[in-house]
Amino acid sequence: MLRDLWFRVRALLRRRSVETELDEELRFHLERQVEKCEQGGLSRGEAQRRASVEFGGLELAKEECRDARGLRLLENLFQDVRYGMRVLRKSPGFTTVAILTLALGIAANTTIFSVVNAFLLRKPPVRDPDRVMVVSSVNPAKDAYAPDRTPVSALDFLDWQAQSHSFSAMAAADFEDFTLSGGLAPQRVAGARVSSSFFQIMGVAPARGQAFLPEENEWGHDHSVVLSDELWKERFGGDSQILGRLIKVNGQNYNVVGIMPGTFHLWDFEAQLWVPLTFSSDDLRPRSRSSRLLRVFARLKPGMDERRSAAEMQTIAQRLAQEHKDTNEAWGASVKSLQRYSTADSNSETATTFLMAAVGFVLLIACTNLANLMLARNSARHREFTIRSALGAGRFRLARQLFTECLLLSFGGGALGALGAFWGVRALRVQFNWNEYAQAMAKEVYVDGRALFFTLAVSLGAGILFGLVPTIQIARRSASDGLKEGGRGTTAGPERQRLQRMLVVGQLALSLFLLVGAGLFVEGFLEEIRASVGFNSHHLLTATVWPRDLKYLDSQRQRQFFENVLQHLTNLPGVQSAAGATDLPYNFPGDVSFTVEGHPGTKPDDQPKCAWFAVSPGYLETLQVPLLQGREFTPSDTADVPPVAIVNKAFAKSFFGGENPIGRHIRLDLDDHKENSWSEVVGIVGNVKEFLGQVKPRPQIFVPFAAHPSQLMRFIVRTRTEPTSLSDSLRHAVWAVDPDQAVTEIRTMDRVIEDSASGDNLMAEMMGGFALLALVMASIGIFGVLSYLVEQRTQEMGIRLALGAEPAGLLRFVIRKGMAIVGVGTGIGVLFSLALPKLVAASFDNFRFHSLWVLAPAPIVVLTVGLAACYVPARRAMRVDPMVALRYE
Amino acid sequence: MTAQRIDLPQGTLDLLILRTLGLQPQHGWAISERIQQISSDVLRVQQGSLYPALHRLERRGWIKARWGTSDNNRRAKYYELTKSGRRQLEAEKVAWDKLTAAVAQVLGTA
Repeated sequence: MLRDLWFRVRALLRRRSVETELDEELRFHLERQVEKCEQGGLSRGEAQRRASVEFGGLELAKEECRDARGLRLLENLFQDVRYGMRVLRKSPGFTTVAILTLALGIAANTTIFSVVNAFLLRKPPVRDPDRVMVVSSVNPAKDAYAPDRTPVSALDFLDWQAQSHSFSAMAAADFEDFTLSGGLAPQRVAGARVSSSFFQIMGVAPARGQAFLPEENEWGHDHSVVLSDELWKERFGGDSQILGRLIKVNGQNYNVVGIMPGTFHLWDFEAQLWVPLTFSSDDLRPRSRSSRLLRVFARLKPGMDERRSAAEMQTIAQRLAQEHKDTNEAWGASVKSLQRYSTADSNSETATTFLMAAVGFVLLIACTNLANLMLARNSARHREFTIRSALGAGRFRLARQLFTECLLLSFGGGALGALGAFWGVRALRVQFNWNEYAQAMAKEVYVDGRALFFTLAVSLGAGILFGLVPTIQIARRSASDGLKEGGRGTTAGPERQRLQRMLVVGQLALSLFLLVGAGLFVEGFLEEIRASVGFNSHHLLTATVWPRDLKYLDSQRQRQFFENVLQHLTNLPGVQSAAGATDLPYNFPGDVSFTVEGHPGTKPDDQPKCAWFAVSPGYLETLQVPLLQGREFTPSDTADVPPVAIVNKAFAKSFFGGENPIGRHIRLDLDDHKENSWSEVVGIVGNVKEFLGQVKPRPQIFVPFAAHPSQLMRFIVRTRTEPTSLSDSLRHAVWAVDPDQAVTEIRTMDRVIEDSASGDNLMAEMMGGFALLALVMASIGIFGVLSYLVEQRTQEMGIRLALGAEPAGLLRFVIRKGMAIVGVGTGIGVLFSLALPKLVAASFDNFRFHSLWVLAPAPIVVLTVGLAACYVPARRAMRVDPMVALRYE
Repeated sequence: MTAQRIDLPQGTLDLLILRTLGLQPQHGWAISERIQQISSDVLRVQQGSLYPALHRLERRGWIKARWGTSDNNRRAKYYELTKSGRRQLEAEKVAWDKLTAAVAQVLGTA
């Protein structure tokens, strides 16, 4: 079979030499035959005549030889392709529209597929990725986020490691940020403290140098660092002499022992550097079993699988739960492969599924358009087909010719679409910027071999899809039909018209469906933007400083640093006021549990929780949060005076009812203030939102930073000019206090708000974009079909006008025809769309459906666009000049 | 012309070509000559149909072609049996023997 094909292909490729060889072979035969006859006594002329009679028809023999070599089939294909190209070249307008339409649809598909590929399909770049497991705690709490992916405490990890037999090795990793200083400007990077077996479990060795030795996991031997390829290239210029050199990490000297290969990226566990993990005596106290911060990785032993190892881990966890009731009661353990762990985030999976469906619909609409265009062209090429079939072309051959043209178009569109996808992916990657995690994900989105294969398959599929209807139509029509119909400007057969109308109805229904879908996402987002944020978010620039050096463990040093930086910021030209806080609004602030004075003490589990912010005195003024009652903090509110607090309106309402909270007391359960320290409420402020998509205001507590300092500090400045123009001065103000600190997340407040949507806005934008694309394509579809209808009926219109028909009547006639199609399409679309809000709400955890009114704009948009698409051809019908129309053709 | 010539039954040309080439590589004209010679001029090969058959056999991989020099010093295309061609020849010979024996038996008893 394969050899046969090869033989045919070779024959085709060497067609010319095969032809000459055939000529030569037959000539040789004839000459020998002539010689033979001459030897038999005939004259040369007679011998030649005799030989050629005996041989039979020379050309026929040649033709049969070609057939025997199997040239025909492929040669016909070549012919079809050549002919198809010529036909397409001859109508550049049609070809351009067709290819561009397809390219748009295919580019959108490949781009979204690249996202799906990155997050769901591509295996992590480790050795035997299916054997690398992530072992997690299982949180029994009902409201826990991703309960079966909870981190692990140091003691649990050590017990798991000692007691399990399913794994050849188990490693723990503590993912956190590190500050690099010395040389270039200080920089904060994501990193991890890891057990020495971490790289072994991943099965990836450093490209240069070596991984950690087991003894480096001991206190005092742990000042080694392995760098990522990216960090090595970007910060250290790819210096090959760096191995063995000391670099400053969190203000201390670390010895560079290895550099990982550039391919080693775990987007869910993003790290630019790795240092050895050590456990302090504090980590190993029995109480610390409840401090779960570690991620645990393990490699399955040969012959062991995910299920069995999970069962073993569950048994071990249950035993530990029995032994350590106060910290581990009801806690379990789960085992997931690295890939399954990363893709378990249901929202990103549903989001990509929705996007994939949306682009699939867009392509479907594009295909429908093309099918319609081809149908229209079929009847325009009627005469050509009729002549060809009269000359002996089989119906099958004609259909194949047409199908070849369709495939040519689809592959043209596919090639252009692939190029478009490269651009689309690049544009999309920039949008993955709402946090560091998203930025790490963005690196994984690229067009790879699999995406290109997908493009090829989609192009082929699209070609078959839109080529099918017109091809079958041609195949079913006999030559005599061709002569009867369409000879002179009469209308196309009812069958084709019905087909075209059905296609347009389908298109409209699909685009309406998409519009409603997009509307659901966009509406929720618009609601957010319209909603009041609770403060003046414009002209604010924010930054984060997180001193990790040991010296900043001292709270006095933290306070000093904080106040010094604020002093520098306030003095900057262009700064109206400056403030600092432990958290920003719209940045998912942390929770604290608290007790309200006068309320009976309840069990620790039932204690109320709310967001809390430790802020500088200028905070309310800088953010312009309205102070409703009482006073703001002053520089004298420090740890040395009786503690004070400010609460927001929601807090006052929920916990003090109608009473005046001023002068009342609350107690915060912060780690460093376990002692009985009641804070007096001195002020009430307006509600400030904590994240985009928040429906109800949440209670919030503010305390003075001076009384509750921390290492993590956010700075906010209100600027007189465009905020980002002060980025550099902000950095230098921090460095004026300590040049070794990295200043990160320099963003305007508006940007902070936007980023807190965590990509929801990107989703809304993309859905909206695709719906718009679909609508444009569908309106081109209806426009095309109606224009065609009018054009075909030009003669009829002319006669009607000549007989005294009202031009306005004709306009109404065409519009009525068109709007009937639009109406049916819209109706079907609305019917299907009714199920959408439920579907979306069931798929996305945080989706809120406001009202059925979100469905209203979509049909109106479709009807309006449909009307516009009908109007242009209808006007043309009205303006038909009877004389011209009758002379037509 | 002593005996009356008969046309080849359908499908036997391939067998004859394979058999002829089983002796030694030949070019097309020699093959047709050879068939006539061995069959004492009874079988007549339609020369025009010889070449399509040769090309078909080549495509099936039973014979292969190569250019050589003929006895009168001219460039000619020589065909020879391949290994699978030899197997095919054996198989077709067995089938043919069975067929002729069966036909003869039918004719004999009738």
